[in-house]
Amino acid sequence: MINRKITLLGPEGTNLYILLQFMLFSVISWFTLFSSVESIEFEASNILTRQIIFSLIGIIVFFLTTYLSIENLFNLINSLFLLSISVLFGLLFTTPILGVRRWYDLEPVGLPIFIQPSEFSKIVLVLFVAKMLSQKSYKLLAISGVLVNLFLIFIQPDFGTTMLLLIVTSLMFFISDIKMRSAVLGLLILFLSFFILLEFNLLGDYQISRITDFFIGDDFSQNQSRLSISSGGLFGTYFTDSQITEVFVPVQTTDFIFSLYSRNFGFFGGLLLITLWIVFFFRVNRIIKLTQIEFEKYLLSGLLILLGVQIFINLFTILGFIPLTGIPFPLLSLGGSSIFSTAIIFGLINRVFIENNIVV
Amino acid sequence: MFNQLRLKFTFVAFFILLVFVLIDIFQLQTREFESTSQIIDRQNLDKFYIAAPRGEIFDAKGEKIAETKLEPHLFINMRKITNQNSSNYRQVIQYNFPTLSIKEINEIFESKDILHFVINLSSVEYEVRNNLLTNFDAFLIIDLPIRSYIKNELFAHAVGYLGIPNQEEFDQFKNAIGNNQVGKNGLERYYEEYLSGIPGELIFSGSDIVDSKQPIPGKDLYLAIDSSTQLVTKESLQQGIDLANKSFELQNEIKRGASVVLDIETGNIVSMVSLPDFDPNKFVSGISDFEFKQLDRDQAFNNFAIQGLYPPGSVFKVVAYWLALSENIFPEGLNNKDAKYDCEGSLSFGFDDGSQQVYNDWKIEGHGKVDLTDAIKQSCNVYFWDIALNIWRNFGNSYGESILQEYSKELGFSEKTNVDLPFEKVGIIPDRDLFEEWKVSRPGLVREEGWLGGDLMNLIIGQGAITTTPIQVANAYRTLLTGVNLSPTLNINAQKITNKKINVSDEFILFLLKDLNTVTNKGGTAHASFSILGNKANDIGGKTGTAQNAGDKNNTSWFVGVDSVSNPKYIIATVVDEGGSGSAVAAPISRRIIQHLLEYELTPVEFGEITE
Repeated sequence: MINRKITLLGPEGTNLYILLQFMLFSVISWFTLFSSVESIEFEASNILTRQIIFSLIGIIVFFLTTYLSIENLFNLINSLFLLSISVLFGLLFTTPILGVRRWYDLEPVGLPIFIQPSEFSKIVLVLFVAKMLSQKSYKLLAISGVLVNLFLIFIQPDFGTTMLLLIVTSLMFFISDIKMRSAVLGLLILFLSFFILLEFNLLGDYQISRITDFFIGDDFSQNQSRLSISSGGLFGTYFTDSQITEVFVPVQTTDFIFSLYSRNFGFFGGLLLITLWIVFFFRVNRIIKLTQIEFEKYLLSGLLILLGVQIFINLFTILGFIPLTGIPFPLLSLGGSSIFSTAIIFGLINRVFIENNIVV
Repeated sequence: MFNQLRLKFTFVAFFILLVFVLIDIFQLQTREFESTSQIIDRQNLDKFYIAAPRGEIFDAKGEKIAETKLEPHLFINMRKITNQNSSNYRQVIQYNFPTLSIKEINEIFESKDILHFVINLSSVEYEVRNNLLTNFDAFLIIDLPIRSYIKNELFAHAVGYLGIPNQEEFDQFKNAIGNNQVGKNGLERYYEEYLSGIPGELIFSGSDIVDSKQPIPGKDLYLAIDSSTQLVTKESLQQGIDLANKSFELQNEIKRGASVVLDIETGNIVSMVSLPDFDPNKFVSGISDFEFKQLDRDQAFNNFAIQGLYPPGSVFKVVAYWLALSENIFPEGLNNKDAKYDCEGSLSFGFDDGSQQVYNDWKIEGHGKVDLTDAIKQSCNVYFWDIALNIWRNFGNSYGESILQEYSKELGFSEKTNVDLPFEKVGIIPDRDLFEEWKVSRPGLVREEGWLGGDLMNLIIGQGAITTTPIQVANAYRTLLTGVNLSPTLNINAQKITNKKINVSDEFILFLLKDLNTVTNKGGTAHASFSILGNKANDIGGKTGTAQNAGDKNNTSWFVGVDSVSNPKYIIATVVDEGGSGSAVAAPISRRIIQHLLEYELTPVEFGEITE
């Protein structure tokens, strides 16, 4: 293992490309939010100010993650996973907020924030699966770990994150040497278990109504978000004075932010953002091919899959292809937990770059 | 083993999905662009605002002064009213709410609103509400805040009142449109954005509510005012005004007055009363036009403590007192504060242009031999006129002639005190420049020659063109006793503004306190008003003022008091418009307030001695 000197910009050889990409996405988010705030006042209630503060803290989180070597990380994973499982388990004993046990309220210890542990347990789960897969004959342990984790998120209840992690972990198993036969079998079991859950009334009314409403009729917010995207045209309304009145979209700064982005920057804006992500994927994929360490291959692919599936679920939701999920668009949506967890992902990727001596 | 091929396969699948997404977005933004804009134009999403509960206001002891209660209001969703069910709803309303007139009910059914207010349900039984909600889906109950001022008139001017916003206020306060209510005056106005909260919203698409946002309550305000001090201040001022009406035979009834108590150390306002006052609750339920006009005619809506402009008379002499000691300028021939000047009751003097004039003191027989202390104690005008003459002879028509005005401005006269209340007035400290300006802008007001030595002599005893507000006077005394001119504030958490820092030595402060002390003791102008306190008056200080007014208006009665000269805590400034001699009316009012502040037994306001 290479020992790295610690410099002001993280360990020696920090990959500026990853940092640049992180900041670029953040700035795009600021511009998008700028159009929905009426004034730029520097106060905590202003969403733009908050997002800028979150992004800046995100950069610190990025560097802190970078200091952790892959070897140390590898050794830490088991404890991290146990911690993550216990934190998720602890949620069962909190008082529900808006009917779900999804957040820790830090008000009693003097911090006016809510922490959503599932944002961070996503990453830990990917780390755990990557470790298990890179060590032969640990697959059964991996599967049981994943199932416990998913179950704890499912009963919060958080159907969207459960589906997200189900797809992500399935894909991670898929890219290992698992036999196609077992892969198909696994999918069948999952499909069946969904109906078993339905049968035993284990899905909350809320989730069922979300799904049934989706098939019965149009969801108001998804309709509105399609209108909002459409009203952007090819070039968007940000630089030209639009003749079209603004469209009302609920929670437009968080889950539905891509509809606001599309309205502002049009088709070409959307294309630009997607292209930036594709470039990022290509870049990381090259390291996956390059590195000789199995764990690093699984880790990077797992993180890319996690980001990719989040983006797809978000886009599918706002385009009305699937029911409402509550999955944010990484680095574009307003919200601290999402930004910090994405910063950790970027930091981990950066660390793998460093250890493979890929500079700039 | 890691399967690179399957990863590639995964990414290719991602790419294909992405292409589908992009095709969909492209179609939306090109082919459907035109139809979208039409849909959006047709789409009438309507917003209905729910007023946010205003922050409450508490006094220094945590007693509530202004509160906000949420009361259920019945609304009817007019988009769910059809020709078929309209008569049905009409009957339900008539049956359940017999207090509503036919005209009011007609108004509801003719309205073009989405939601129309029917009635406040707070006194309606729960079963009735429940029945309305479950059986009639056009009904909706929304909790709306109702403001009430628990102490009624007592805090009218400090707290202010609410009203329906006008166009200017819609532009200025972003929550005004949703709350449909805005602070019109007082703290309600000054802290509008802090108190108002953020209104909630109901979003309607057609007749359905498609989204909603809860209102966010405003923040609470904590005042330095103590309700009991405020009450004593108001009672004392009212007693003093009644007394003045009884004692003088005047054409005009005396109605107006103000009193302010400042905490010397912090600059906090401990009480603030202006009379006549009004009940701010009347604005909540709606005030009648007649009542409004009557109050307006009495100038009840003016807070004279910060908006009343009065010549300060002799209470202004402390400025010259400070100037004399700082600059060593005393009457002609004297060179220190203890040197005696022979006051013969009048001063005759000549100016460079050869004119000869005689000024008469209020005490025709004269004050005899006086030093600076005696001049303050007995309010001897001649002594101060001679200081003015001295300034004029030395600096007249030169750069230094405005030295008195500069000292006044250091103490905050003719400038905002930055009190946390809106519409503060600043008053006037006249000088040569102002008179030149007035010659053009207000011809006839000043004589052709402009600023003369006589004007300076008037100014030094607080007469002539000078005007001040009671809070300015109180704050000027506070500044002299602390060296820092701070903004006086009602809100204990307000950001204090340091208006100015002045140079006063501890020695000077001791002299000043000692000399203010002589005023309320034997031989002083306010002795008669404080003698009821006996020995206890030994530690109290103050300064009387009686300012002459133009025309047939009676004199303005002033008193500025300090509760203790050994351990000064409070400054009390009291003014009664047309109240006559300061020592007779304003002094006993202040005496009663000081009795309360020092926790002595309260005695009624009694007519003092007419001096000045």
